Amino acid sequence: MTLLQDGLWYKDAIIYQVHVRTFHDSNGDGIGDFRGLAEKLDYLQELGITALWLMPFFPSPLRDDGYDIADYRSVHPNYGTLNDFKSFLAAAHERGIRVIVEMVLNHTSDQHPWFQESRSSRDNPRRDWYVWSDTDTRYKGARIIFLDTETSNWARDPVSKSYYWHRFFSHQPDLNYDNPAVREEMWSIMQFWLEMGVDGFRLDAVPYLIEREGTSCENLPETHVILKDLRSKLDQHFTGRMLLAEANQWPANLRPYFGDGDEFHMAFHFPVMPRMFMSVMLEDRKPIMDILQQTPAIPDPCQWCLFLRNHDELTLEMVTDVERDYMYDTYAGDKAMRLNLGIRRRLAPLLENDRRRVELMNGMLMSLPGTPIIYYGDEIGMGDNIHLGDRNGVRTPMQWDGGWNAGFSSADPESLYSPLILNPVYGYPAVNVDSQKRSGHSLLAWMKRIISARKSTQVFGRGSIEFLHPANHRVLAYVRQLKNEAVLVVNNLSSSAQAVELDLQRYKGNILVEMFGRNIFPRIGDLPYLLTMGPYQFFWFRLRRI
Amino acid sequence: MLTDDFLRQLISVGEVDLLVGVPTHNSAETVGQTVQGIRVGLLKYFPRERAVILNADAGSKDSTRDVVAAAAINDVQRSSDLYALRTLPCISTVYGDSPAAEVALRTILAAAELLRAKACAIVSPESTNITPDWIERLLRPVYRDNFDLVTPVYRRHKFDGLLLRNLIYPMTRALYAKRVREPYGAEFAFSGGFCSHLLEMQVWDHDAGGVGTEMRMTMAAMAGGFRLYQTFLGTKPHLDRGSADLVAAMRQTVGTLFWSLEPNLQYWSTKRDTESVPTCGAEYDLTTEPIRVNRKRLYQLFSSGVGELEPVLKSILSAQTLAEVQGIAKLAEDDFRYPHELWVKTAYEFASSYHKSVINRDHIIQSLAPLYRGKVYTFLVENRDASGEEVEANVEALCLTFEGLKPYLLDLWNARE
Repeated sequence: MTLLQDGLWYKDAIIYQVHVRTFHDSNGDGIGDFRGLAEKLDYLQELGITALWLMPFFPSPLRDDGYDIADYRSVHPNYGTLNDFKSFLAAAHERGIRVIVEMVLNHTSDQHPWFQESRSSRDNPRRDWYVWSDTDTRYKGARIIFLDTETSNWARDPVSKSYYWHRFFSHQPDLNYDNPAVREEMWSIMQFWLEMGVDGFRLDAVPYLIEREGTSCENLPETHVILKDLRSKLDQHFTGRMLLAEANQWPANLRPYFGDGDEFHMAFHFPVMPRMFMSVMLEDRKPIMDILQQTPAIPDPCQWCLFLRNHDELTLEMVTDVERDYMYDTYAGDKAMRLNLGIRRRLAPLLENDRRRVELMNGMLMSLPGTPIIYYGDEIGMGDNIHLGDRNGVRTPMQWDGGWNAGFSSADPESLYSPLILNPVYGYPAVNVDSQKRSGHSLLAWMKRIISARKSTQVFGRGSIEFLHPANHRVLAYVRQLKNEAVLVVNNLSSSAQAVELDLQRYKGNILVEMFGRNIFPRIGDLPYLLTMGPYQFFWFRLRRI
Repeated sequence: MLTDDFLRQLISVGEVDLLVGVPTHNSAETVGQTVQGIRVGLLKYFPRERAVILNADAGSKDSTRDVVAAAAINDVQRSSDLYALRTLPCISTVYGDSPAAEVALRTILAAAELLRAKACAIVSPESTNITPDWIERLLRPVYRDNFDLVTPVYRRHKFDGLLLRNLIYPMTRALYAKRVREPYGAEFAFSGGFCSHLLEMQVWDHDAGGVGTEMRMTMAAMAGGFRLYQTFLGTKPHLDRGSADLVAAMRQTVGTLFWSLEPNLQYWSTKRDTESVPTCGAEYDLTTEPIRVNRKRLYQLFSSGVGELEPVLKSILSAQTLAEVQGIAKLAEDDFRYPHELWVKTAYEFASSYHKSVINRDHIIQSLAPLYRGKVYTFLVENRDASGEEVEANVEALCLTFEGLKPYLLDLWNARE
């Protein structure tokens, strides 16, 4: 299989997020690697995903799971070599799977040679590669992001006896993007990987590139200038590549990251994610409707990225205080589940391992406007371990089978990079790929079916959305439309059966064809279209005028 | 029977935790403010609960229903000044073409049961002085503390609520042995369990013409052993009722009280000591600013009524009581007083006669009106310069008299049986 040469491939993509370390260990050292990942590409192809997003795999002291990069042009020895990466990349492309690489622009590790040089003396040529100050009182308007660990955005460096700026951990000094040399170097690094063949970058923490006094130091116009410049260079030199923005912001603040179609191709829609959880718990479509109605239109070539869970905590930064309290109380009763402004749990435990809710949430993920991202292991309902520090509880080894180390590694269990999940509900003997492959009714089998259904039409990736407003607020209904193709999506957010009347007059005369069983439902007539739905049930109907 | 349209609305609302019912009839002028208060109260105190505001309308010709519907919060109607975690549906149904409190309440009860509401409150559309904490004070005891019926306590002028303080409260308290201050408040709340009990009992089907529904609920709660609670709601707007309204009010309250004694005989006849009811806030709060009251007319209506109604009163009252009433009716206005004991005996004899149906029951209630005016005259004179505490002491003395003479009623009841 070869990659389809469609510049808008990312709109139809099904992205699978994985950390190399977590997926499969080929050399028995207890840590996943690129060879191991390559060995599992057949599994991913069978699942139906079309793109892989790899978390940072660069040399790093690993104090923030690789987001503290010490060398941007190499591979961490734990994960293999640059050649291993190239082989993996070729193998993925052979299977029609694109590869998106993490690029941490905002900061480096404090062990990066640049920072070591920068701190070494005030006269060092790289001094201005980072943001230094003699006081810790500048940029007071900037919030502290990692509230649980940091008390200031400034840290005093004992070597140079001055303060350096960091928006995240204090071991992650921010690069100084006012320095043209920094900008040039980062583009050069991106070129390095693009020339190797990577299909896109997920650019980490992009709102924070520039600092200005008297501002929040987020989303500044100068930041957009830098990002537009990167995009321009990308378009000049490469085709079919994609930039994905990680900017945990409100929709109105996110919109500028698309520019006029000349900045990012895609951006995560962070605020919709917690509201999907909220809607299901409240059994009320209002939170989802509220945020999507606040979401501005984006340029045609651009796309939102949607996800249910990822490697971080379920972020509650983009919710109100009332909503955050509600989310904590309902999804994180145990305080150990909370981290920063979020909840460090996986999808299945969040939803109490309720298969119906897991399916409903995935159904919405796949049918709302945007490109869906599946976090590794969520396709089989993996659990988490809230007793591991930081966000490591959602980064445990992939559970391939019920055997030695869950089929992840041949190493001694003590030498695994992380303990396996062992509890009776989510432990690898109960939840693993091998056992789920044996059943046509497993979550894995169901995920394959829904991915297949999603891929059967471009309407979900590229179509418009029209919300219906049935009086029953427990039902979220919308019509996705692309040219002459229309799909009606109806989601019952409630734990009980619901009757709903839909105003489908605009589609009068169409029959409904359910997309999974392909059964025909009655033709739309003059009356409101009555549907009865089981608890957490959802329907995807093709509207066909036959 | 609920209409199909209303059923469709209920289906759309689905199960709720809280329901607030607002019975209306041409209430457009006031209901907007009331519903706004309810909405703020629900969002402020119960932001996570599934709630609905339900309007039972008696065929309003004005924009009452539209005003209520406009208070909804959903994905089409969003409030710019209020934040809501979830949808707040406001639904409305027309139950008839003229006001009928019992039908309105029955409609709300039926809806509450279908929606499996855990706690329900009723708020009068005229309560424009509603504050958001009313909703908390009404619903919280039911929703969080498992009480079954919450009745209100209002701040009143010492000369407001005279029927309540001179007859309904003391007599209810003595007979049902529960100190419920306002057994027929315009605002009250009840549990889903009590709601189902009421629907099963069909307490509104009695021969008093379907009036006094709120009071019958209170009686049913007391007799049924349901948990009662009182909540202070602040100032009760004083509605100036003319004398024409008195008989109607007595039908709804006194008639209901008398009627309730028959089905609840087993309960009240065995109760001795009265129990207080848990209360949030003040148990009473009387204001004493001077107001003009036409006492003379009350006295005249009493005197003339005793004379004109002598044949009727003869069939209701014992000879001794009638003689004493006639005796005080001959007193000059300045000397006239209706003593507590005589008033209590009067009330009990009327209750007994009502039970016996010595004459048409409605005539019995009407005949009590002039005597009640005499008691009110006495109350006004005795409390003309009284402080709130002194008024309350006077009411308490009357209550104790009702309690002390309860065996007298039982003797009458049994003798006449």
